[in-house]
Amino acid sequence: MAEDLNWAVGGEAGDGIDSTGKIFAQALSRAGRHVFTSKDFASRIRGGYTAYKIRTSVDRVQSVVDRLDILVALTQRTIDENLDELHEDSAIIYDGERSWEAEIPEEMNAVDVPLKSLAEDAGGAIMRNIVALGAACEITGFDVEYLDEALEKRFGGKGSKIVENNKEAARAGQEYVQEHYDLDHLGYDLETTDNDYVLLNGNEAVGMGALAAGCRFYAGYPITPATSIMEYLTGRIEEYGGHVVQAEDELSAINMALGGARAGARSMTATSGAGIDLMTETFGLVATSETPLVIADVQRSGPSTGMPTKQEQGDLNMALYGGHGEVPRFVVAPTSIDECFWKTIEAFNLAEKYQTPVFLVSDLAMSVTEQTFAPETFDMDAVEIDRGKLVDDDSVDEWLDEQGRFRAHAVTDDGVSPRAIPGTIDGAHMSTGLEHDELGRRTEDQDERVQQVDKRNRKVETAKETESWDYREFGDEDADNLIISWGSNEGALAEALEYLEDDGIDVRVISVPYIFPRPDLSDEIDAADETIVVECNATGQFADLLEHDTLTRLKRINKYTGVRFKADELAEQITEKLSEEVPAQ
Amino acid sequence: MSSDVRFTDFKSDKQPTWCPGCGDFGTMNGMMKALAETGNDPDNTFVVAGIGCSGKIGTYMHSYALHGVHGRALPVGTGVKMARPDIEVMVAGGDGDGYSIGAGHFVHAVRRNVDMTYCVMDNRIYGLTKGQASPTSRSDFETSTTPEGPKQPPVNPLALALASGASFIAQSFSSDALRHQEIVQKAVEHDGFGFVNVFSPCVTFNDVDTYDYFRDNLVDLKEEDHDPTNYEAAKQVILDSNKEYQGVMYQDEDSVPYHEQHGVTEDMSEIPDGAPDDAMDLVREFY
Repeated sequence: MAEDLNWAVGGEAGDGIDSTGKIFAQALSRAGRHVFTSKDFASRIRGGYTAYKIRTSVDRVQSVVDRLDILVALTQRTIDENLDELHEDSAIIYDGERSWEAEIPEEMNAVDVPLKSLAEDAGGAIMRNIVALGAACEITGFDVEYLDEALEKRFGGKGSKIVENNKEAARAGQEYVQEHYDLDHLGYDLETTDNDYVLLNGNEAVGMGALAAGCRFYAGYPITPATSIMEYLTGRIEEYGGHVVQAEDELSAINMALGGARAGARSMTATSGAGIDLMTETFGLVATSETPLVIADVQRSGPSTGMPTKQEQGDLNMALYGGHGEVPRFVVAPTSIDECFWKTIEAFNLAEKYQTPVFLVSDLAMSVTEQTFAPETFDMDAVEIDRGKLVDDDSVDEWLDEQGRFRAHAVTDDGVSPRAIPGTIDGAHMSTGLEHDELGRRTEDQDERVQQVDKRNRKVETAKETESWDYREFGDEDADNLIISWGSNEGALAEALEYLEDDGIDVRVISVPYIFPRPDLSDEIDAADETIVVECNATGQFADLLEHDTLTRLKRINKYTGVRFKADELAEQITEKLSEEVPAQ
Repeated sequence: MSSDVRFTDFKSDKQPTWCPGCGDFGTMNGMMKALAETGNDPDNTFVVAGIGCSGKIGTYMHSYALHGVHGRALPVGTGVKMARPDIEVMVAGGDGDGYSIGAGHFVHAVRRNVDMTYCVMDNRIYGLTKGQASPTSRSDFETSTTPEGPKQPPVNPLALALASGASFIAQSFSSDALRHQEIVQKAVEHDGFGFVNVFSPCVTFNDVDTYDYFRDNLVDLKEEDHDPTNYEAAKQVILDSNKEYQGVMYQDEDSVPYHEQHGVTEDMSEIPDGAPDDAMDLVREFY
């Protein structure tokens, strides 16, 4: 494992923690270093503890660990909250002139920098965090010029004076540490490379994927942590002739998106937890009217309002079974930030090819986490668009009945019917949530009911045969121990492997991005001596599914503290779990 | 093409299951005639309906149509219009669908001023569930769920629309065929949200708000010298609780519909075969 640095800035919400962290993350990315960030925030606008953490290395980093090397603490609580992760070589940057008296454990490096007064000298107290960033650069031997670049990007739009002031503030922090401390960079020498990375989070990747896939209409209602998808699309989708509507509630949002989709636009809505509950009313209508729609659920801690700003993977059952009656759907769950991009594109293709709702299930940890990638990871030339069985003015004819009426819900071998969008001549038809005949008209005829139910379910069978419902795997293919995971745990698992290897434990990891349909893992589970399913929920919803699929009892690691898995912590838990007795068959 | 369109082209071959004498027949006929008269045809028209007797309209009309869930027809119409400004959108609802479960959407569709026509078939009762009080039922109207009357004032949908910033507010009576069609036609022609509350009597469950009642009591604004562009005059008519009016109460002639305000002009159904040409710029933003 390459040398990594774990850095954090913490204070109260409203202290500019997020932008401070982002500036440093961008500086590291500009220096050709890999970055992985995580956020700890409370559900309030001002006040309350909040922190932005960065793990950085020249090698790819895709997880957080239980260690903090440099901490910029704007409050005592920042120190207290992170005591477990701090170690004897940790450095804590704080402002001794502030009213609180910092209590810093003796063995750590207390770096007292008059952040506020140095910032005032540079042009304003607001820049105290930038002073701290300058100090952090000095402590770690990181060239402050990369910080300059990040400051230019951040404040360039506000004029050169602001940029210069910020640069001066950074220099003031750097020089203060140079003059008053002899830390010898605490042994760090942050290597830089010529690589140009992009730094983005999961929600941004979803939004970018939606634009690449030709999404033109988005309707949503603000909810943590899904809102930033809407914020990303707003202002960008217009450049492609699209539009975002902030609806009055989630019920409206999904119905608007449904309207957009029926009008022929690739349409999407996104929400979380409680919002998905509200959308469930219309979910059945989307499925029964056979409307292609992408519904993103960025999971957070539930039930009810739960912990709105905390991590969980608790909505899997909802995505699979939510809604009354039985309706076909696809459930796709990206396992990494770059996959958020690709799976969003796939979700749009699946939705239109099979004229079904597609749940795109992500989670809070992935949505707010920023990670560095080579730009080619998002190769736009590789994006494929498949609009399915769209008919035009000419091809509509073969789908008309003897009276010249369009058979929008024609019973076909593959379960997929032709799709005519408004404006198609002779394609006019009715769609409804009521059970209907081929023309879309209400029916309670027993045969027609069975035909339509079978037809809709047949789409799933067709998709199972036609599409790839694969999984990703890493580690030792022949290992006796198998770990299975879904969602954002993949990164932590990938890095946990390295710790396990150091301890001589061989593990094969399977990370599954498809919940329904999903790959059959029977052979893999049979081949392993022990299988552990890792997920961020209390009951093991994915493990239940796998047990159901394979009729095998599986071990489980469940975390539901509201905090994502950390690589080293996960390695420990896996080691522990492997030594436990296998559950009774 | 449009000049050849007759209103019967908007009729499907499905026979309505509305009760004989239901006001909804006349309401629907007026809507179809208004669509044909304004140069639309079934292939460029999208009809959205909610739940209830009014919700059946999509089945009896011939056009692109969606029969959705209770109270949510307006958001669906909004989505259609946003994606396809070239498509004529007509939304049908009932007094329960629109002013009870869908009241929140009504307020917001009105204030968004989406360019569509919203006809509410107001019979002041829940018909399809067999006779319960609706939001527009009189406070002393006895029903199975309100044996002594709802004991709460009815919603005034026109006032609700006015308070929400409506750009077009009208009321019509389904039985007054020509006048009803004329009013709906004005709503279709209006640039923005054309709201028409249609008195559409329920002959089965409402023996108070009957054809005779409306015939005897309705005051036509045409004969009242009412100027719909005069906001104050509109306010007076709308808030007048002593009379029932038909006609266009209010019309903002400077109304700019939502999609124009937001610069939405393109047909969103057409997209490139792959990612947009400049899509790598989206990636570069994250450098």
